[in-house]
Amino acid sequence: MKFTFKPSPNYRDTLSTGRIMMELTAGLLVVFAFTLVLYATNADYGASYAIRAVFLMVAAVVTACVTEILWCLATKKDILSTLKSSYPWVTGIILALMCQVNIDVYALIASTIIAIVFGKLVFGGFGQNIFNPAAVGRAVIFASFSGKVAADFVTGATPTSTIASNGWLVANNSINVILDQFGGLGNLFIGNYPGAMGETSALIILLVGAFLAWRKVIDWRVPVTYLATLFIITLLIGTLHGVGFWYPLYHLLTGGAMFGAVFMMTDPVTNPTSAPGRILFAIGCAVLTVIIRIKANLPEGVLYSILLMNMMTPMIEKLTDGNQIKMMKKNLVSIGIFFVAGVAIACACSLGMEAQEISGPSVQAQGNVYTIEAKGYQGTNVFEVEVENGAVVRVECVTFEDTLGIGDNATSEDYLNSFVGKTLNDEFDIVSGASYTSNSVIEAVQSALEAAGK
Amino acid sequence: MAFITGPMRKHVNGHKELTSHAEVVKVDAGSKVLIPLINMGSTTVEVLVKEGDRVKVGTKVAVRNDHFKVPLYSSVSGTVKGIEKVMHASLRPVDHLAIENDGKYEEEAPLKPIDPNSASVEELVDFMMEAGIVGCGGAGFPTYIKYKGIKGIETLIINAVECEPYITADYKQMHESLNELKVGVSTMKKMCKAAKAYVCIKETKKDFIPTLIETFKEFNDIEVKAVPDVYPMGWERTLVYEVTKKRYDKLPSEIGVVVNNASTAIAFAHAMLCGMPIVKKMVTVSGDAVNTPCNVEVPVGVSAAEVIKACGGYTAEDVLLIAGGPMMGKTITSDAFVITPYSNALTVLKNTPVEQVPCLRCGKCSDHCPAGLQPVRINNAEKAKNIDALKKLDVMSCIECGLCTYICPSKIDVTEGVRRAKRYMSLQKK
Repeated sequence: MKFTFKPSPNYRDTLSTGRIMMELTAGLLVVFAFTLVLYATNADYGASYAIRAVFLMVAAVVTACVTEILWCLATKKDILSTLKSSYPWVTGIILALMCQVNIDVYALIASTIIAIVFGKLVFGGFGQNIFNPAAVGRAVIFASFSGKVAADFVTGATPTSTIASNGWLVANNSINVILDQFGGLGNLFIGNYPGAMGETSALIILLVGAFLAWRKVIDWRVPVTYLATLFIITLLIGTLHGVGFWYPLYHLLTGGAMFGAVFMMTDPVTNPTSAPGRILFAIGCAVLTVIIRIKANLPEGVLYSILLMNMMTPMIEKLTDGNQIKMMKKNLVSIGIFFVAGVAIACACSLGMEAQEISGPSVQAQGNVYTIEAKGYQGTNVFEVEVENGAVVRVECVTFEDTLGIGDNATSEDYLNSFVGKTLNDEFDIVSGASYTSNSVIEAVQSALEAAGK
Repeated sequence: MAFITGPMRKHVNGHKELTSHAEVVKVDAGSKVLIPLINMGSTTVEVLVKEGDRVKVGTKVAVRNDHFKVPLYSSVSGTVKGIEKVMHASLRPVDHLAIENDGKYEEEAPLKPIDPNSASVEELVDFMMEAGIVGCGGAGFPTYIKYKGIKGIETLIINAVECEPYITADYKQMHESLNELKVGVSTMKKMCKAAKAYVCIKETKKDFIPTLIETFKEFNDIEVKAVPDVYPMGWERTLVYEVTKKRYDKLPSEIGVVVNNASTAIAFAHAMLCGMPIVKKMVTVSGDAVNTPCNVEVPVGVSAAEVIKACGGYTAEDVLLIAGGPMMGKTITSDAFVITPYSNALTVLKNTPVEQVPCLRCGKCSDHCPAGLQPVRINNAEKAKNIDALKKLDVMSCIECGLCTYICPSKIDVTEGVRRAKRYMSLQKK
């Protein structure tokens, strides 16, 4: 007979970290599966895109696991037990879901390695990292590999890149030009439009998020606070500029706001542990998302807001430390001040903005030669495109209004000639560093091809 | 305000069905009982008998004699054999008075029965002290202290929540002693001059709530209140907040509340009606490593080994023997310790290994801490030996309820980390 001593309590809940991570994995895979169905049933995409998406997902997950295994070998740790308590595949899956299906697989593999090593392992492994590893990986792609995409007309412009090129604020009478391109707000909710593999469908993300919150896998406070704050700020900005109710909805439904809120801000390792801390964290993310979007003209406001708030986590923790019953008033005041100040700053940032009137590229046809005006970085560039049998014969830049020395890389003869022979189903390159101008070229070519096809 | 503090409580699987409807087993004392000479950590106890003295059931054998006065009584008849140092249920070696049991159980009523209706409040408080009534919820706090010279009380809360998993002793005791419960509660209400009394029981005890309501039907100022089945609903602060929606600094009397356990009320009534102090206890013996889980009625001073034997013995070779429930009860490395006047359970669990993984900072411990603390932050500050942070984190408010360890998905001994922090703080103060 043996009476063992163990400190009390000797009673444990059934919920384990392993189960939390497995359910999170399952939730992410449901989102991915929904994307595959969208791709397979989409007339423009088709099964080949779904297969490519699966290929990318496998590449990211395998890379994440192999990186972790190599790290174990290098640091002489037990591989199996480390893998079981380090969950590298979650980082791989999230990173893949944040990428577009046309990303170069080597770019994805390289950034997965960086995400696992520099996002997590160098800090001491799971539980010790400061930044969300997947966000680190995505930022690396955005900073270093944004040209490494097999661009084509189908996956070209996303809702965020389109509105970002118009300064994130579009006049009421012009919004339909953008919305029509992506099937309206309803389709933005369902998610059948070009964008990152897991980020497009608000519908499935919300469903999975609600399930995970119910299963206590994620903390519901974070997405609720984030989305509510984002909605309030953008509603105010919209109202300030006489823009309609579509504006806050556009902010919520696009650019990974939903995905970030449900799957990335809720990463417990990199957000504060206290309830008021998490509320402050989510408010901070919402404010930064808006500021980055409208001030930096970036489509990736959500991602950078998360990385920036990750840095603030230790500070927020210190602020909310203490007996939460005695601190309740102080915490409420902190949250109130932070919220009001954040909303005010974000709205103030929008003051210099003007809602832009936009129209689609204007197309004038003369036989099989199309003259197209397309918006570039600063001004409007005019192109002549000659089309024969659904393929490009000649592209010429007639008027160039963008920055000399930068934008004109995308109107070079070499680049314009690279479109010769292309059809609507072909892939093409974009010029990194001159994405606005190359987008205007692509838009011109696409418009010409579409006009010729009619 | 669960949005910014978390729920501060949690439903836990109580396993109450193991014992709640099992027959109560009467356990007799063996050839010897050991009366622990301790109350609430105080061993300033004066022994009133000497070796060779003959005692009966109810003979006053010792008294705690410091700022609190708590008499201790013999639970058997027989001969005093001297003093032995034995491991106590509080996990420290303590002097026990050994009494050889002659098996006759001759009684001696040490107290004169008292009529609760005609006696004055002062007489009742004195009687309560003389009867050695202590908090039967597990703490053993002398009950009379709560009533002595007390003023400004509006509410009496009778705690019949029994939130520790496995334990059903209060539930069984109430079943068997409805009249004593009624007398005890109404007398306590009279003693603290409260306008209203609440008898709080978990809402899941659906079969018993109607009986309780029926019992208190004649009083329109005693209400049976069903409370949520969450842990630690039976903790004084959590229960007071649930009933009054008010919080207090140190004692519930600050906001006009007195809290007592239901079995304390029953023990008090039993003493008033029969003149007999606490010499027997209802104790739940449960868990997955005891043969026949049930409630036992056992004299004070009987060893855990004898009680477990009466319940069919152990079913595993390696067990955790817990004095109390699995959340707050301590594991004891020998079954020689004895039942005290405020014991309510022995829990026997199989010793299953627990696999820990790194903390993922999920914050569930902070969300559920009933005292509003942040166990994960306290653990980190303790590792860093950061005394300022520990002060700010209000470590000393921890009651070691164990909910943080219970809920930790990484299976870390969070509560033990907080205990280390408390010890570190105490050392630093000295």
